[in-house]
Amino acid sequence: MLSIINRILDWFRSLFWKEEMELTLVGLQCSGKTTFVNVIASGQFSQDMIPTVGFNMRKITKGNVTIKVWDIGGQPRFRSMWERYCRGVNAIVYMVDAADQDKLEASRNELHNLLDKPQLMGIPVLVLGNKRDLPNALDEKEIIDRMNLCAIQDREICCYSISCKSKDNIDITLQWLINHSKSGGAR
Amino acid sequence: MAPVSKRDKKEEEEGGNIFQNLDKTSVLQDARTFNDTPVNPRKCTPILTKILYLLNQGEQLGTTEATEAFFAMTKLFQSKNAVLRRMVYLGIKELSTLAEDVIIVTSSLTKDMTGKEDLYRAAAIRALCSITDATMLQTIERYMKQAIVDKNPSVASAALVSSLHMSKTAGDVVKRWVNEAQEAINSDNVMVQYHALGLLYHIRKTDRLAVNKLVAKLTRMNLKSPFAVCMLIRIACKQLEKDGGDYADSPLFDFVESCLRHKSETVTYEAAAALVNLRNTTARQVAPAVSVLQLFCSSSKPVLRFAAVRTLNKVATTHPPVVTSCNFDLENLITDSNRSIATLAITTLLKTGAESAVDRLMKQIASFVSEISDEFKIVVVQAIRALCLKFPRKHSTLMTFLSAMLRDEGGLEYKASIADTIITIIEDNPEAKEIGLAHLCEFIEDCEHVSLAVRILHLLGKEGPKTIQPSRYIRFIYNRVILEIAVIRAAAVSALAQFGALCPDLLPNILVLLARCQMDTDDEVRDRATYYYHLLKLQEKGLIFNYIVDPMQVCLVSLEKSLAQQVHDKVPTKFDLKSVPPAPVVSTTEDTAKETIPEGSISSAPNRIVPVQSTVSSYAEKLQGVPGLQSIPGTLFHVSEPIELTESETEYVVTCTKLTYPHHLVLQFECKNTLSDQLLENVRVQIEASEGYRIVKEIPIPKLPYNETHCAYVVLQFPEQLSLTVTNFGATLRFIVKDCDPSTGIPDADDGYDDDYMLEDVEISISDQIEKVSMDREAFDRAWEAASDEDFTESEDTFNLPGMSGLEQAVTKVVKFLALEPTGLTKVSERSSFTLCLPGMFRGGVEVLIRAKLAVANNGVSMQFTVRSAHSDIAELICAAVG
Repeated sequence: MLSIINRILDWFRSLFWKEEMELTLVGLQCSGKTTFVNVIASGQFSQDMIPTVGFNMRKITKGNVTIKVWDIGGQPRFRSMWERYCRGVNAIVYMVDAADQDKLEASRNELHNLLDKPQLMGIPVLVLGNKRDLPNALDEKEIIDRMNLCAIQDREICCYSISCKSKDNIDITLQWLINHSKSGGAR
Repeated sequence: MAPVSKRDKKEEEEGGNIFQNLDKTSVLQDARTFNDTPVNPRKCTPILTKILYLLNQGEQLGTTEATEAFFAMTKLFQSKNAVLRRMVYLGIKELSTLAEDVIIVTSSLTKDMTGKEDLYRAAAIRALCSITDATMLQTIERYMKQAIVDKNPSVASAALVSSLHMSKTAGDVVKRWVNEAQEAINSDNVMVQYHALGLLYHIRKTDRLAVNKLVAKLTRMNLKSPFAVCMLIRIACKQLEKDGGDYADSPLFDFVESCLRHKSETVTYEAAAALVNLRNTTARQVAPAVSVLQLFCSSSKPVLRFAAVRTLNKVATTHPPVVTSCNFDLENLITDSNRSIATLAITTLLKTGAESAVDRLMKQIASFVSEISDEFKIVVVQAIRALCLKFPRKHSTLMTFLSAMLRDEGGLEYKASIADTIITIIEDNPEAKEIGLAHLCEFIEDCEHVSLAVRILHLLGKEGPKTIQPSRYIRFIYNRVILEIAVIRAAAVSALAQFGALCPDLLPNILVLLARCQMDTDDEVRDRATYYYHLLKLQEKGLIFNYIVDPMQVCLVSLEKSLAQQVHDKVPTKFDLKSVPPAPVVSTTEDTAKETIPEGSISSAPNRIVPVQSTVSSYAEKLQGVPGLQSIPGTLFHVSEPIELTESETEYVVTCTKLTYPHHLVLQFECKNTLSDQLLENVRVQIEASEGYRIVKEIPIPKLPYNETHCAYVVLQFPEQLSLTVTNFGATLRFIVKDCDPSTGIPDADDGYDDDYMLEDVEISISDQIEKVSMDREAFDRAWEAASDEDFTESEDTFNLPGMSGLEQAVTKVVKFLALEPTGLTKVSERSSFTLCLPGMFRGGVEVLIRAKLAVANNGVSMQFTVRSAHSDIAELICAAVG
């Protein structure tokens, strides 16, 4: 089963990384941002990660395609700096811990604060509800509802429920990203 | 840093600095290209260089500007270009203190410092430590520990040095890395070993025993790194100085001595210099060190020769006989092609040499003095000054030499040191006075340093009238009035007035000159001229004496404050000048102590100018800040020396300072708690006031934790009857004790218990009520005579001072008892009788003149003690107090 998924993933990877694209990955702490980068970069999942202090710059090259990911720490003191790294990117990926319902409201506020910034106008946003492998995780509809995503009208916005651990829905996430890379948009 | 060196080359070719006309705004504008994708290292590296250049030129960046630039720079982490990355590290370090939110790069830097690219690691550690504060240090602690013991020496060194910097802000965390530092000290790399020792010592330096252990261990270990050995020598010497006493059988001393035979020249020199600089060494102990230096004197390396001769120059003041053995080698260095070495060699010889050699050596110096820098010229001048004091007969040779130097080009410091030397010679040697003044007169004819000209004019005013032919100086002074700027003109007018006041036969001429000065364009000059003109014209001896020759000396800071207070309060009473404390007397002993420091040293010149802040005014300021003490009427008049009321090394340390106001006495008790397991609360000193004194107020210390010093105060009112003021008070320290945890200082329980601690008695003496006034002998005599016919009362008594071995001892004792500044105190020991004159000011501004005639009697010294004062009670009190 796993091998089949991996093969499909590889196929998608070869499909869209033909050029350079830049995206910024934000969200509250412990939502799985750095883990997500590791999964799409090398397919490796690690359970014990240390909190990111500041940012990690990752360049993921497959074939002749490069993707630059700015993975920014989610602790409160870094949230004011998210905006600086979101300016001018191809897409903003917003990570939400779908299983931690207590933090959902804080997460919603941070997202709306971020998207209110005039400099980030029109940049497409992908909201990912991570950790769907956990028993009480919310699904897409509930996330859209709880995150009040319908209120965001001035840009393209999308939401997926994924799991980095079981590599669930990583493929459709990548598919979405394909469509928003420079070449993908032109196609 | 390839791009920088490339730039340097270009710079040489073009013959100009391409960074010269950089504009901050446009450079910061350029920094926006950092945000472009993809990153272009060729474009970004020069921009970063420009930012660094601007910062190092002292350009100020605002917080917003710096933060913008910093965040733009963080985008460069996406480039893999090594040169650019290393520039980014430098940029982070420079901007770390200016920009906000710099911790954003923490994660990226930790990745670089632990990564595979060795080129990045050391620089990343340094940058990381510059952005990490004490609270964030925990997160990188693990990486730092690893880096300290890293195999790569540059990484380990960077981690060690960064730890040393971090310990300033987060000493506790860095202390935990002691094991890693221990391990690093065994490194084979010379730098790592040196840095590890530096860190280890820094961590332990407050703990004397731990340092002793460390040194003992390392001296046996045979360190490989010469730098580390040098450091160890310095640590050992510090310990030796601290331990004090005899070095005879100290293992540390033996270690330092053994280093004289080390194979590295650096170490041998360090050991020799250390031995020579140790205090309390005997000539025999220093001898081996000097012979090492002697060997260096004939070395082929200029650095070694310079180091050796410079050190010998220093020793020449402390152990002249030891250096004499090197005289032959020093003679050879006189002709050294390196002028710095030659200068030091000659000045050393001047210090140790015989009188006969002086002329020859001076000729040698004269041959190249114009070729050396100001710094070394000052060394020469100082040597000449010492020489003049040693061989007064040589003054004419030396004086001619000095005046020639004065005429040369040179900076203020150099010229000032020459003028200082001439003034010292004039003061010390009356024969040299006329020649010295003549040289100075000539010098101010063409002197570009205002402060020096003013000083010399003042000196001429003081000394000129006392010479045989005062009139010859008038021309020089009046020339200044015609030719110079306002500040100098004003000084010249004051100097002229001195001549008018002291030389009656010149008075008519002076009056004419002063009258001309009243036409001056400058207000200050005109004011002074008018003031002096009218005073002199009255021809009244008392007035002239009080306002020209010896003008009042009040503490200017206090005067300004009192006047401001007067204006502010709008009190209808007249301002009383006597309520202002007199100017602080700078004692001559303090002066000479300061003079000895620059002797022979080359770089310490700037710290000589230490402003002497009056203790009275600084205390007055401090007391203004204590609630409850502002209400004391009058200004602070006198501050006593602190007195210890406890034995040293006891549980509580209390020192008392007596602060005298016109009608009140404030006792300041400085209390220190030396018990780590106690917290003291409501600490106060209970005073058993003697008859007549009234306690006005007590100010306790609310909380006194371990190792802290705070002040408690008691305010007393002086008795009306003066005879009751000299007394003793019993004193007890009272407080509430709360036992607490020594490590945290938090008390175990909420309620403590009362306790007290007996202190020694506080003695209130006559000296606490008199402030010293500085006056020269003539001024005193005149005041003394004036006091006899005015409404002064005189009190006189004769005492026998038994058990005094000589006059000198008696004089010191009397001066110490009254804590006053004696006038004209010279060469006491040579005479059989001596008159001691002590002018003073009693609290409330009453002038007091004390004269003590001392004579050697058959068993001790007899003293006739006379006090003149406007207030009879005061005169009697002082007389009685001495008895």
